[in-house]
Amino acid sequence: MILNYIKIAWKVLLRHPFYTFITLFGISLTLTVLMVLTSFLDHLFGTHYPEGKRDRSLYITRMMQMDTTQNGRNMGPVSFNFLRDYAKTLKTPERVGISTMMGFANTYINGKRIKLNTKYTDADFWYVTDFQFLEGKPYNEQNIANGENVVVITDDLRKQYFEDSDGSVVGKYIDIENIKYRVIGVTKGSPATRPYTYSDVYFPYTAPKSNYQSEGLRGMYVGIVLAKDKADIPAIQEEFNSAVSRISLPRTENGFKFHTIKVGANTYLDDFLGNFLQGEETRRTIFFSIIGFIMLMIMGLPAINLVNVNVSRILERASEIGVRKSFGAPSRALLWQFIIENIFITFIGGLVALLLSFLIILLINTSGWIAYADLTINFNVFAVSMGVCLVFGLLSGVLPAMRMSKMKIVDALKA
Amino acid sequence: MLRHLFKLIWNKKKAHSLLMVEIWASFMVLFGVLSLIVYNVRNYVEPIGFDYEDRWILNLSNNQDTLAVGDKVASIYQRLNQYAEVEEVTRTGSNTPFSMNTMNNSVSYKDAKVLTNFYPVDENYAQTMNLPVTAGRWFNKADAVSKHEAIVINDAAREKLFGAENPIGKLVKRDDKLYWRVVGIVDNFKAKGEFMSDEPGLFTFIKDKNAWEKEFILKVKPGTDANFEAKLVKDIAGMVKDWNVEVTYMTDSRKNQHSLTLVPVVIFLVICSFLLVNVALGLFGILNLNIAKRRDEIGLRRAMGATEKAVTRQFLGEIWVLATISMLLGLLFAVQFPLLNVFDIEGGIYLVAMALAMGVVYLIVTLCAWYPSQQASRIHPAVALHEE
Repeated sequence: MILNYIKIAWKVLLRHPFYTFITLFGISLTLTVLMVLTSFLDHLFGTHYPEGKRDRSLYITRMMQMDTTQNGRNMGPVSFNFLRDYAKTLKTPERVGISTMMGFANTYINGKRIKLNTKYTDADFWYVTDFQFLEGKPYNEQNIANGENVVVITDDLRKQYFEDSDGSVVGKYIDIENIKYRVIGVTKGSPATRPYTYSDVYFPYTAPKSNYQSEGLRGMYVGIVLAKDKADIPAIQEEFNSAVSRISLPRTENGFKFHTIKVGANTYLDDFLGNFLQGEETRRTIFFSIIGFIMLMIMGLPAINLVNVNVSRILERASEIGVRKSFGAPSRALLWQFIIENIFITFIGGLVALLLSFLIILLINTSGWIAYADLTINFNVFAVSMGVCLVFGLLSGVLPAMRMSKMKIVDALKA
Repeated sequence: MLRHLFKLIWNKKKAHSLLMVEIWASFMVLFGVLSLIVYNVRNYVEPIGFDYEDRWILNLSNNQDTLAVGDKVASIYQRLNQYAEVEEVTRTGSNTPFSMNTMNNSVSYKDAKVLTNFYPVDENYAQTMNLPVTAGRWFNKADAVSKHEAIVINDAAREKLFGAENPIGKLVKRDDKLYWRVVGIVDNFKAKGEFMSDEPGLFTFIKDKNAWEKEFILKVKPGTDANFEAKLVKDIAGMVKDWNVEVTYMTDSRKNQHSLTLVPVVIFLVICSFLLVNVALGLFGILNLNIAKRRDEIGLRRAMGATEKAVTRQFLGEIWVLATISMLLGLLFAVQFPLLNVFDIEGGIYLVAMALAMGVVYLIVTLCAWYPSQQASRIHPAVALHEE
């Protein structure tokens, strides 16, 4: 029976290729936009290389210092000393990695300039992230304690700086701003959309110009706190907050006197939202309502369109319904037919959308628009948006059909 | 005629309500995207006010070295002036043109209080950036010792602070203890690039031994390449150990600023045009069906002597009336943006965007209705009436 319905549906689709095209275009366009958008969000916030433990990591990235008498405030990354004294000493986490925010440097080779993003890190940084080393290994506590000028570079920089060398570049030297550094490892690079791990070259924090000695609470560093288990996250946050509350205030830093400080160990999404929005509780709500509104707009227009076309077209089927009814088909059978028809066309649209999304994501990944982009299709989102399309399809196709199936046979036949 | 069309639409208000929602939603989406585009285009056509080709930015940071920083910067300044490849040098603050850094604060003159960008610069800045002074003069060495520190303001700041008054020689209030004297005016200065609006800005004078401002802008000879750059960085890094020395090209930073503006615009534009194509196709389908359903009516009109043109005009007129009603509804929403001053954008931009959005919607509905109306007008009265 179902096979029969599908056959009919197929014939109906072929009867008016133009209308079929409109319907399919609407469904697949909506699904494609939704999938690409969510896959991009997942790329930004999900757990991916090299932050493969992001789901159980907390980020300490900024401190706000407030002068309560004059309403002044200063905000920025924290200092190495602060992280060493208040984050590294925490008992609950598994490990705490420290690195700088992004820095810049240039290196010159053969009359060519290479722009570098730089990061100074400690040894635990390599533990809390899972960088994949193509050559050599990361620097360890020993290298750092000796103050060795060693660096880890990305495969991309290796290609640019050591152009044609086929063998390993470990042990070779790279000249950055007049200082020679020994390459100790080559790692697969990270996308620029992951600011806490993205860099072209990684220095141990004892290397020159790292400013790890700065006194004071604010500086250039951020910390990644790795929990043993996701469930430990609230306990770690509590422990960190109580450690921070022991800092004696008020203090003066760079001529700025402040009475309160605000610094938190946040999950990645919270940390990211904190860049734009103040207020811990409300920002999640605001973020999700904005995303929701955009999705609604993107889905809304094609949905109205779909409903519109379907409602206008239903009269086309009146004579068919009339014939079927006059030969004794019950309303239920007619209803089933329309439901299956709608599911069928939604699936075709979904298939097209899947194909399109794959193509677009492939294009983004290979175009170099974002270096090392690793967008993937999220099948959960695909399933949900298929469901939504199905609901609209059913609303627009089945409801009028149902009304039609209750029509008097004579009227239906006449139409 | 118009009343008749209204009646026709009113009679089928149920069927038309969905169509109206669709046109309304398209109008709103178009209005949003066009506001963004109009805003940026309008900024883009304003001249930027200075030159950026062959300008390099030398960025220094002293890290842990706090010994006689001012003196070291001064000697670097001298060294930079000695290179044959460097035509002009000027010392500035970290908010160099096209950089991501901003410094602003409010200043006031009499009752006018304006949020203004501050650009710390020295006496060579106007020359190096080719920034023409339209009234008064640029800074000179003597400004370092004047009683009230000298400032140069741009035209946008002049207009907001002084209106019709002549600002030269007037004192601008920074706070209760600090007053600045205006010595000159420049025209446009859009430091964040072509897509920035011409915001109020003022230039303050950097004193010689100052340790804070450590950026230099170099005007190099055309064709100077990375070999010289490498030599320059090596020389300077040799003078100040443990400092960071970084060179960026202004043209590169300009590109970055541009993509910050353009990438969102392009994404919105792509999504919007897909939505509109979708709507247009749907509209075309619906109108086609509607007109096919009204064959007998058309046949009757033709039999009563209506010309082909009159029939076409009727259907086009109907869709125009429909579009107008939906867009009046849309305008009710859209007009809230300039009224409530959302996003702090000039009201004129919204008006232009509204007009453009209406134009595009009319264009789309006309294109979609054209073919079906033509078809309708070609219906032969005899055939149509015979079917009945």
